[in-house]
Amino acid sequence: MSVAGKTVLITGASRGIGATLAEEFARAGAKVVLSARTAGVQALAERLRAAGQAAEALTGDVTDDAQAKALLQLCRAKFGGLDVLVNNAGVLVPGKLGMVRMEDARRMFEVNVLAVINLTQYAIRLFPKGKGGSIVNLASIAGTQGVDGLAAYGASKAALVGFTRAAAKELAPQKIRVNAVAPGFVETDMTRQFPAEVVTRTVAGVRLGRIGQPADVARAVIFLASDDAAYITGQILGVDGSMAC
Amino acid sequence: MDDEARLKKCFVETFGLSPDQVKDDLVYTGIKQWDSVGHMALVAAIEAEFGVMLDTDEILGLSSVAAARQLLRKHGVHRA
Ligand SMILES: NC(=O)c1ccc[n+]([C@@H]2O[C@H](COP(=O)([O-])OP(=O)(O)OC[C@H]3O[C@@H](n4cnc5c(N)ncnc54)[C@H](OP(=O)(O)O)[C@@H]3O)[C@@H](O)[C@H]2O)c1
Repeated sequence: MSVAGKTVLITGASRGIGATLAEEFARAGAKVVLSARTAGVQALAERLRAAGQAAEALTGDVTDDAQAKALLQLCRAKFGGLDVLVNNAGVLVPGKLGMVRMEDARRMFEVNVLAVINLTQYAIRLFPKGKGGSIVNLASIAGTQGVDGLAAYGASKAALVGFTRAAAKELAPQKIRVNAVAPGFVETDMTRQFPAEVVTRTVAGVRLGRIGQPADVARAVIFLASDDAAYITGQILGVDGSMAC
Repeated sequence: MDDEARLKKCFVETFGLSPDQVKDDLVYTGIKQWDSVGHMALVAAIEAEFGVMLDTDEILGLSSVAAARQLLRKHGVHRA
């Protein structure tokens, strides 16, 4: 899949799906700019550079406007622009209705939705004029189908789906494609917070018979980001092994 | 090239104007090229030329050539 030479900004790249995305994009020859709050993201960029790949990292909170600007400035200063934005940073606080703290709900909207809107507004200015670019958002099956116990998180991801579809229409004249993947249940810190019986039950409901791996999601993201998906925009691609929910 | 000429260049190249068409009273939606899509292209050109990153409120306020100059002065990158 052709992402070689492209500059790719990935948020939430210190661990989980984002870290795998960073490794896989870099392995495919892309230049990656990584962001997360913790120093793991710097270590990952160093590891990639040591392997001869082009990688930069900046620590900070993606909900911070100064961080968003600084990230784009880094893309411009180091690699002369941007071709792909992957809005991967996300937070999930589970909670049955009646026990959802509004503070947690607000935080999920801040990170999962508002930060994406903000970063997207900055990023589109860096895409090459006339050539456009590609944006891939990390939605969720909780946003497309609704999952018991994840109403607030699902609402934030449903908002992201709405944003993806509208942005795809609005940015198409500038040749900017906007798509999302909607993972099911993927083995990362995010799902490790669930009790063992929830994990067992959820995985038992996956018709392809196993938990998802970050690489399963990364391959779908890289496809949507690549020129192979040149005629695809406004789509939400489920990556869930046919999960029951 | 001085800062004023660099600013003019952004308008000339984005909107396909001649330099003498870029006057202080050229305003947003005042010509058909300067619509919302053109505005984003102008912002991108100005940001790349002057190495700044404008925030959304600033972009909304960038409604004329004069306003653009003022904004770049505020960022300390337009000294004319
Ligand atoms: N795992 C799943 O089953 C699953 C399913 C559907 C959708 N998703 C979505 O896929 C994306 C990645 O999930 P994951 O499972 O890899 O999650 P994860 O293991 O919890 O990792 C989340 C990443 O986001 C970063 N992050 C969180 N808040 C941030 C903030 N405010 N600013 C900057 N970075 C922040 C974290 O880094 P720091 O802590 O270093 O900041 C980390 O790198 C998320 O959007 C998630 O909602 C995941």
